[in-house]
Amino acid sequence: MHPFRLLEPESLPEAIETLRRLDGESRLVAGGTALVAMIRLGLVKPDRLVSLHRVPGLNRIRVDGGSLELGAMATHADIERSRTVRDGWPLLAEAVHRVATPAIRTSGTIGGNLAYAEAASDPAPALLCLNAEARVLGPGGERAVPLARFFRGFYEAALEPGEIVTAVRVPPPPAGARGGYVKFTSRSAEDKPLVGVAALVVRGGAMRRGAHRARRLRPDAGPRRSGRARAARRGAHRRRGARRGGGRRGRGRSAFRPDGQRRLPARDDPRVGPPAADRVARRHCVTRRH
Amino acid sequence: MSLSFTLNGQPCATQAPDHWTVLDLLRDELGLMGTKYGCGEGVCGTCTVLADGQPIRACLVLAAHVRGRVLVTVEGLERDGRLDPIQTAFAERGAAQCGYCTPGMMLAAKALLLENPSPSEHEVREALSGNLCRCTGYTKIVEAVLAVAGSK
Repeated sequence: MHPFRLLEPESLPEAIETLRRLDGESRLVAGGTALVAMIRLGLVKPDRLVSLHRVPGLNRIRVDGGSLELGAMATHADIERSRTVRDGWPLLAEAVHRVATPAIRTSGTIGGNLAYAEAASDPAPALLCLNAEARVLGPGGERAVPLARFFRGFYEAALEPGEIVTAVRVPPPPAGARGGYVKFTSRSAEDKPLVGVAALVVRGGAMRRGAHRARRLRPDAGPRRSGRARAARRGAHRRRGARRGGGRRGRGRSAFRPDGQRRLPARDDPRVGPPAADRVARRHCVTRRH
Repeated sequence: MSLSFTLNGQPCATQAPDHWTVLDLLRDELGLMGTKYGCGEGVCGTCTVLADGQPIRACLVLAAHVRGRVLVTVEGLERDGRLDPIQTAFAERGAAQCGYCTPGMMLAAKALLLENPSPSEHEVREALSGNLCRCTGYTKIVEAVLAVAGSK
């Protein structure tokens, strides 16, 4: 493996200062599950890595003012096992549980996952649905970046040189919201998703009008949130027995169609059934559940 | 860089270049060859070892990141000359063919049983989902893990 020097700051200010002093051949490393593999493959050849492992408290999971705050160094295993997350943010727990394999989830961190800005991220769609934001610290101070603006493109996050994702903040889901995450993989369940879709269905009011935020993944772009789709509303109609052709607009706007050649299916798919969130997610991608 | 951690029940203080992973350290410095080098990319699982009871990929985790932690490799499963029940079950049930995946399989199974002493078959398969056996001997492996779970 390409040799590098490892720097291990013991506080966030020290980490910021360390990054400020170094040039562009330096990389931050958290769990290393992505970066170390890329170094082994020769895709990146950094002279120095700055590790966040010795910064205390960066893996904390807590609720603050009703919002979930995940320290950037919280691992996927920490998050999926957290009672707080499972009870209050089950969509996130579900998506994080689908990341790779158990021995990757014990090392890979949520901050690293997001900063890597890979399209094939399992947690990103769920966090987009939940209106999460990244807390970012840099030489100029701290700022909050909504995830909807965080993913700029192909492995490109909205981070300036020298900035660090320190936490992910997730507001509480609306009361009664139900969510689901599905992914399509080319070979086996633990692969990275070719397509991953999270959906959050929020029902409320006398109209039973549903709205969901689904999002799509494209290999040439980072994770994205699709527009509000109407499919959930169609689901509500169907439950009342008035099966109609509504929802077409929603489907057209949100379906995953590489080159437009693949119209999606699912109206007659026997697997399509309740709950509504799952139905919405399925309508938006060719998928199978593992 | 100097490192100290607990390895198979014993304190271990050693030196390693900054860019070494746990796998480099175990095999090239400490001479523990039971942990296998498979893909080197975190995919195959044969380098799985335990850190604080949780499975990690030795090929992806930097050596510096296990400072102060408790590591167990396949050499550390045996206690006082007696095999771990998982090792016995693998041997008795023929859960090894070429054997290259076996150390990682046993440690992934050990991690599962530490957390969940009586897993279902589904839970066993999920826990082993990151460990590939290219002899495709999964059936016996899952049976062996379930046998250990059932014997408690």
